[in-house]
Amino acid sequence: MLIQEQMGLAEKLTILSDAAKYDVSCTSSGVDRGGKKGMLGNAVSAGLCHSFGADGRCISLLKILFTNQCVYDCRYCINRRSNDVARASFTPDEVCTLTMEFYRRNYIEGLFLSSGILHSPDYTMDLIYQTLKKLRTQYRFNGYIHVKAIPGADPVLIEHVGLLADRMSVNLELPTAQGLKSLAPSKSRSRILAPMRQIQRGIQAGKAELIPRQRGARFVPAGQSTQMIVGATPESDYHMIKVAEALYHNYDLRRVFYSAFVRVNDDSCLPVLPGGPPLLREHRLYQADWLLRFYGFGADELLTEDRPHFNVLLDPKCDWALRHLDVFPVEINRADYSTLLRVPGIGVKSARRIAAARKGAVLDFADLKKLGVVLKRAVYFITCGGRMMYPIKVDERFITSQLVGEERRKVWDIRSTDSYQQISMFDDGWLSPQPTPEDVHGAVFGQI
Amino acid sequence: MTIFQCSDTLDGILCGVYDAWMSRLGHGNAALELEGTGNLKMFTQYRKVEESREKTDKVIAAIYRKAGRQAYEMVFRASLSQEEDKADKIYRFLIYALNCGGRVTDMLQIPAVYEIFRINRAVGNEAHLLIEFARFSETKDKVLVSMVGPKNDVTILMAPHFADRLSGENWIIYDEGRKKGIVHKADEGWMVVRTGDDAWKEQLVRGTDQEKFADLWRTFHKSIAIEERRNYVCQRGHLPLRFRPYMTEFSSRD
Repeated sequence: MLIQEQMGLAEKLTILSDAAKYDVSCTSSGVDRGGKKGMLGNAVSAGLCHSFGADGRCISLLKILFTNQCVYDCRYCINRRSNDVARASFTPDEVCTLTMEFYRRNYIEGLFLSSGILHSPDYTMDLIYQTLKKLRTQYRFNGYIHVKAIPGADPVLIEHVGLLADRMSVNLELPTAQGLKSLAPSKSRSRILAPMRQIQRGIQAGKAELIPRQRGARFVPAGQSTQMIVGATPESDYHMIKVAEALYHNYDLRRVFYSAFVRVNDDSCLPVLPGGPPLLREHRLYQADWLLRFYGFGADELLTEDRPHFNVLLDPKCDWALRHLDVFPVEINRADYSTLLRVPGIGVKSARRIAAARKGAVLDFADLKKLGVVLKRAVYFITCGGRMMYPIKVDERFITSQLVGEERRKVWDIRSTDSYQQISMFDDGWLSPQPTPEDVHGAVFGQI
Repeated sequence: MTIFQCSDTLDGILCGVYDAWMSRLGHGNAALELEGTGNLKMFTQYRKVEESREKTDKVIAAIYRKAGRQAYEMVFRASLSQEEDKADKIYRFLIYALNCGGRVTDMLQIPAVYEIFRINRAVGNEAHLLIEFARFSETKDKVLVSMVGPKNDVTILMAPHFADRLSGENWIIYDEGRKKGIVHKADEGWMVVRTGDDAWKEQLVRGTDQEKFADLWRTFHKSIAIEERRNYVCQRGHLPLRFRPYMTEFSSRD
């Protein structure tokens, strides 16, 4: 481990932003706060993305670690104790200056401060607290702050930090306790869940108070989030989505982030991923996550114990619709809002527009296109005025092949041979043999 | 057919609507056009719209009274659009808006309403993106300056956001194409300033000295990307190339 005493700000920023980049959450959403006289900044509830990196991910916050020195030795982490990487550490003033100057120039929406564990969780949490305190009171920063709660830190410290930050997060890292044990021996499930529960209680207590705290002193107003690594341990998609659902229900989380595993350490415990990070799997999990939060789906509707992985070629919503063709097609002019939301190709916005527009008129397919419905997908599942757009066979196999598209059909056949097959001239499976003349006689005279 | 020619401002368009409406020619026989756009048509009379405060106020009051604030906001944003036939589209929209009332904003199945909705969305989206992508640099006398080159005239939609956010700063957002800017004075208000020439721009660009933090930002922007997930197509989808010449992280040091 190499700790340099004299290091330029640019060098530190390189090391500590590079070390922080595997943390995915970079949203600045969840809180609306107007500007204040004498302070710099405000917060916009929908969040703003100020730039996009070469990997296509949004850059909303100044995402840095306070230090990348760490006493833990988690297998998947680039900053683990046993790695020989350059180590650096900011001072609170440096973090404050960077945040203020970047914010003034509209580079960022706020600060995302995380840290490796220096000496002990309490010591690290205190460093973070000192930094935030300075930023809010001395530098008069009124923008967005997302901060990590360090598992194992004193609850008093977490409460104090929570009053300065907008959002707090504790990373679950791996969906099961067993996975955590194998890859992050110094972390335990219970120690991760404890601060999560504390933050949840704090937020609820703040909402329940009869006399609200003075303005600007709300506890974690933008809620808490967490993150899970996808593909480092053998958990199935079903597992992940069940855990996410439980977190939303039991811990009131605002967001669960999924991070495709990137093999940064050469470790025998980690899987080798020749195809690169499991990006498609991550994508499907995010799609399902949206279905859980905004579309009223349950995890058990999307996947089951017997079918634990998402379809590679179809998004989870199409996949669900194809397995429930009995409820389709739905009539656009009559179906209620929650039914509309379940139609592939109709999202929250277009469902709202449909509900508003049909009050004054009978909608047709041409109108739907204007309302933002993706007809390419929706056309198999809807009727307008009792008619489908053109005669469509409501058949699982036919619609699937239409949705999946020509060039991907082959992959589909390879991966799911037992449920769908490419029809072929020489395939006995689909052509029943012609009845013989004896069979015909038998059928006519009732001698079967 | 009679075409009313109006200037490319909200006032001009609304006065045009007033004149076309009050001419009693019938909506089918009257149309609006911006001055200096389109070609001359045969069998058509051209009338120039006389602008007056009174006409504008009357139309705005009518929109508020009969169709509500949301409809007026849609008209306002549509008037900032780059589209040449926006004046006539606003006229067609107002025919419905003043007849149907507040629910007109939901009636997207009507082509005239849909057009205004579409223009609104385009203008609103660009304003939103520029609020995200505008970059300030600091001059020697601590004024923050941002250059933008939007397609639609959206600087006026950006101003309230930055007035709230950077209330204690002096800042200027300068629209390069239209040669106009928003000027904000610390702890006071903001206003629109139109300049006829490029002198302003040259002065603003020359005065800035921000290399230290611009370099740090470029460093950060580079190191935050995960190499294994490199995806330029995705990046372009979110951050179109046309914004990049104005952005610090995509302009190399010169």
